[in-house]
Amino acid sequence: MTFSIIARCPRTRRLGLGITTFSIAAGGRCEGIRHGIGICKTQAYVNRGNDLLALHMLEAGLSPAAVMKRLAENDPDHEFRQIAIMDREGNACAHTGSGTRPWSGHQVGDGFAAFGNVLAGPHVLEGIVKGFLARPGDDLEFRLMAALEGGRDAGGQVGQDGHLPERSAAIFVASEPDHFDVDVRVDLHPEAVAELRRVLEEFKLYEVFYRERGHRPDLAMTQDQFVATLANR
Amino acid sequence: MTYTILGRCARTGRLGIGIATFSITVGRYAHSAKAMVGVTVSQAFANENNNQIALRLLDQGFGARATLEHLKSNDAYYTYRQIGVIDRTGAAAAYTGPGVRGWCGEVVGENYIATGNGLVGRHVVEAIAKGFLAERDADLEHRLLMGLEYGRDAGGQGTVDRHKAERSAALLVYSRDPYPDIDLRVDLHETAVEELRAVWAEYKKYEAYYRHRGEHPRGALGQEAFMATLKAAE
Repeated sequence: MTFSIIARCPRTRRLGLGITTFSIAAGGRCEGIRHGIGICKTQAYVNRGNDLLALHMLEAGLSPAAVMKRLAENDPDHEFRQIAIMDREGNACAHTGSGTRPWSGHQVGDGFAAFGNVLAGPHVLEGIVKGFLARPGDDLEFRLMAALEGGRDAGGQVGQDGHLPERSAAIFVASEPDHFDVDVRVDLHPEAVAELRRVLEEFKLYEVFYRERGHRPDLAMTQDQFVATLANR
Repeated sequence: MTYTILGRCARTGRLGIGIATFSITVGRYAHSAKAMVGVTVSQAFANENNNQIALRLLDQGFGARATLEHLKSNDAYYTYRQIGVIDRTGAAAAYTGPGVRGWCGEVVGENYIATGNGLVGRHVVEAIAKGFLAERDADLEHRLLMGLEYGRDAGGQGTVDRHKAERSAALLVYSRDPYPDIDLRVDLHETAVEELRAVWAEYKKYEAYYRHRGEHPRGALGQEAFMATLKAAE
């Protein structure tokens, strides 16, 4: 019960990951994204070591398909995993194991892979992809946000007892090796996708201020002063 | 304006950080621990690359003090930074530059650093240390939360007549794995420390289940069925 998208912005080469799920704190289980290397995200029944192992192999120069093959060889329960892998050029592949809970599946396109399990149906993936492709000129974080909203609006997750709310969600975007450009999370909320949109919009107001006060602290205004400039907009 | 507790559990060697601040999404600055290596933080006018540099230096074998000196010599604006480093032995080193604003400083002990800026006063970091040391046999994540809660209750950020809310908070603990045991966040909230405790309390119910279903997917309960067992146990 999760739906996610991994993607690369062809304009900026930034890599990003968007995820939402019924489980709590999904963003705390997303180690597999690194600028200049690639992305791996394992979901459904998660083998926690998978994503970092995949990054090591991508860093060594293996293709996403070769990485997937080796993850399969390394894992007796590979058929219970759902995995998407992308290299730094945007080449992607995905695997939806036969042991994942229905409906589950993935869609791999040029510079993205959308994948999910315990979904209302294949139309949820179509909603994710449609959201992602709707405004290709936007910043990657907003395209990922639109993808999650598209999946939610297409019906999202449906388990044995009916619709399951999104209780956690996260978006990560990387353009440098040592920190994320965007790293926003909602760990426990009855409408996590809507809350993530609120957090992302608020973060974008502060993004440049936070970055610049670290780069040139000698020139930085206080946060109180900055908040006042927001109020005067 | 931020307050933070870095801690190492002397019993288990687990390493972690608890952080709370007026800024939003502070967890961005808390990807700052590594199993068997150390834990660090760079705050105030944060150099966003410092955490990973520090973890690499610690991984190479430098101790906390040498790592801190490396960070200072690598940074033209280090006098605006507030930095804490604990290495795998529990040795701790901290620095607060003269350019950091508001009341700022730290309490440093073996296995912990309580550090903050823009605080009501020195008693806040003293309270954080006291909270961390209050239950030495408890799990590290609980001790880190206690540190944040004592800091909040001592007045936290701002001045005596003008309190600054904690709008974001984060809790991160590493044990033996290359990924964290606990990685919880509150990115935008009016009372982020309370909310972080609530998220942690809820997460604790699921922690073993989430781990078990990944390690043993064959026959694992669906999450709805697991939640029914939680409800039955209430």
